[in-house]
Amino acid sequence: MSFLGIVYLFRIIWLFKFTYRKERTYPAGSAKTGVIYSMMNVAMPWAMESVRKKPGFYIQFLIFHIGIAAAISSTFIIPYWPGLFKIKAVVILFQLSIGAALIVGLLRLIRRISNPGVRLISTLDDYASLILMILFFAAGIIAIPNRYEMGEWPLIIFFAITAFLLIYVPFSKIGHYLYYPFTRYFLGKTMGHRGILPRKKSKTTTGADSSQA
Amino acid sequence: MSDDKVDTSKVVNLPLETKTQKKAKEDQLRCVAQGQLKLYDPKANNVQKFIDLLSQRINRSIVSSMVACVHCGMCADSCHYALARPSDPTMTPAYKADQIRRIFKRHMDWTGRLIPWWVEAHSPANDEELNRLKNIVFGTCSQCRRCTLNCPMGVDTATLIRMTRGILTELGIVPEGVFNVSRDQWETGNQMAVKEEDYLETLEWMKEEVQEELGIPEVDIPVDKKDCDFMYTINPREIKFDPRSIANAAKIFHIAGESWTMPKWGWDQTNFGLYSGDDKLGAYVARNLYEAAQDLRAKRIVISECGHGYRSTRWEGYNWADYDQKIPTESVVITLIRYIKEGRIKVDPSLNPEPVTFHDSCNIARSGDLVEEPRWILKRVCSDFREMHPNRTENFCCTGGSGLLSMAEYRPLRLEVARIKAEQLKATGAKIVCTICHNCVDGLNDLIRHYRLEMKVVQVLDLVANALILPGKKHSFRK
Repeated sequence: MSFLGIVYLFRIIWLFKFTYRKERTYPAGSAKTGVIYSMMNVAMPWAMESVRKKPGFYIQFLIFHIGIAAAISSTFIIPYWPGLFKIKAVVILFQLSIGAALIVGLLRLIRRISNPGVRLISTLDDYASLILMILFFAAGIIAIPNRYEMGEWPLIIFFAITAFLLIYVPFSKIGHYLYYPFTRYFLGKTMGHRGILPRKKSKTTTGADSSQA
Repeated sequence: MSDDKVDTSKVVNLPLETKTQKKAKEDQLRCVAQGQLKLYDPKANNVQKFIDLLSQRINRSIVSSMVACVHCGMCADSCHYALARPSDPTMTPAYKADQIRRIFKRHMDWTGRLIPWWVEAHSPANDEELNRLKNIVFGTCSQCRRCTLNCPMGVDTATLIRMTRGILTELGIVPEGVFNVSRDQWETGNQMAVKEEDYLETLEWMKEEVQEELGIPEVDIPVDKKDCDFMYTINPREIKFDPRSIANAAKIFHIAGESWTMPKWGWDQTNFGLYSGDDKLGAYVARNLYEAAQDLRAKRIVISECGHGYRSTRWEGYNWADYDQKIPTESVVITLIRYIKEGRIKVDPSLNPEPVTFHDSCNIARSGDLVEEPRWILKRVCSDFREMHPNRTENFCCTGGSGLLSMAEYRPLRLEVARIKAEQLKATGAKIVCTICHNCVDGLNDLIRHYRLEMKVVQVLDLVANALILPGKKHSFRK
C-alpha cells in the first residue's frame, strides 16, 4: 500500500511539473460549476450521448466497478474483520457482486478481441489489465468465504494477486482512476468558464443580458 | 447518397507537397525570413525536433488527456468519420490520438520508456512517419470536439490533435492549403490576403448599396472611428465572396441607431492559428484585433458570424496573446438579441415563411457558449423553425471545420463522411439551413451539392435583415 501511495505521489508531482496556462478571458459561465458537473459526469448517464445510446455499457461499467470495490474491500475484511464473512448473506452478496463483475470482465475481454476498432487501439497492457482483474475477481469469489481450514490456497492466490496489483496498477491503465479527477477538472474548468458545461437547457434569457464584466 | 469509399491507406500516405514552401522561400517572404512561418527542411533532424517541441509544448491538461485514455472505444460512436466508416477502425478518435500518445509514452511516460512494447510506445523513425502523422491529424479529424464531450474520462482528443498539428506546422510538415493560408495571414494580417484598398473599396461599395436600398444617404460604414460603442470585425470571406453580409449588418446597425466602426487594420476575426495549431500565429492575429479595439477606444468588440473566428477572438486569442481581456467581446448574434429586446429593430417572422433549421457550429457549441441564442432569434424571425437532431452540443460537424476546406487532398474523405451530416439535414425537411459560421456555410454548401439536397444555406444576419420592418413601413425593404 505504501508503495502504491508513494508511486501515486510521484505521479501527481510529475503531472504538476507541467505548466498550466492562465485564463485571460471574461467568463460566460462558472468554472467551479463546470468542474462539479464534469466530475459528477460519471453519475449522470444521461449527460453523454455515447452512454445514452448504449445504456448496457453503463450498466456494465457500474457492475464492474462495484465488483472492484467489493473485491478490494474483501482484501481488508478478510484480515481485519474476518467475522463479517462468517455471515452467509454477506458472503453471498460479495460473491454475487464480484461474480457479476467477473462476467462483465469476460464480456469486455471478448469485446476487446472481437471489435476491430477496440482491438486496434488495445495494447498488451489493456489485455493484461483486464485479465488481471478477471483473475482477481475469480480468486476473490473463492477466497471470500475465508474458510482456511478447507485449504490455504484460495487465500494465498487472492492475496498474491492483490500484492501484484499494488505494484502493477500505478504503471498500468488500471491506474486511470488517478487521472480521472484531473482530466475531468481541466475539461470542466474550461467548459464551465465558457458556459458550455453544465449543458444549457432551453431558456428565455440569453447571453445578451450578461455584461461579461 | 454516395457509397464510394475512400481508401484510407492512400489518405494517410499522401506525400508532403512543398511547392508553395519553395516559392515562399524564393520570394523571400517577410514571414519566412523572420522565422514566423517555418519551411520543411529534409536535411534537418525533424524527428528529434518533433520530440523536443512535444516536451516544450505539452501542458498539464494535455498530459492528463495523454495518460487517461482507457481505450474503451466509446469515442467511435461520437465521431462522424467513425460513424460513416464503421468498418474502418483507424477512424476511431482514440486511434488517431494514440498516434501522438505513443510518441508521448515513448519519451515522457514511465511505462513507455521502460517497456515500450507493453504499451505500444513508439518513436517516429523518420520524416515519412511524421508525414503519415500529418495526414492523420489534418486529414481525418475536424477537431469538432464531439468525442471530447462523449468521453467518459474527459480526454480532450481535439486538443491533442491541435497540439500535434502545431508541432508539425513548426517543422513545415503541413498540407499546402494550411501553409498557404498561414502565409497569407502572416503576410497580410488576414487569411485571404485581402489588400487594404480592396477592403476599403468593398466597404464603400456596400455602404452605397445600403444607402440606395434604404434611400437614406446618411447610412455609413465607418472606418477607424474612435470612441464607438463597438468595433465590428469580420471574416475575409465576407469581403471576397459575401459582401452582402456586411451590408446586412450595416443596415441593421443603422436602423438600431448604433455607434460603430470597423478598423482599417486588425479587422480579420478569423484565425488560422486555431487550425494549424500555431499559437504564435494565433497570438499575432488576435493581438492585431485587440490592439485595434484599444486604439479606437471601442467599448466592445463585435464578431460577425463565424465559428472559429468567434472561438479564436472571444476565447483562445486572449490566451494565445497573453492579453488580458479588457472589454466585452461578443458575437453579432448577441448584439442582434439586444436590439430585438430593446425594440431597436422590429422583425416580422412571416417574411421568412420557408422551413428553416439550424446547424450549430462546433467551435461555437462545443468550444464557445452560444447555443440557445441563435435559436432565440430564429424563433422570432422565421415562421417555421424546426430543430435538427441531434443538436446543440451534440450536433455533427459540417465536415469543413478545422481548415479542412483549405486542404483539397482530403476532400474525397471529407465528403464521404459528410453522409452523416447530409442525413441529418435531409431528415429536417427544411428548405433553409441557417448557421452562424462562414466556414460552415461553405462546408454545408459543398456537401449539399455532393449529396444533391434541395437546401439553401443562410446566416442569422440574412434572416434578420429579411425580416426587418422599417420604421413607418409595414414590410421589410428586402430586394
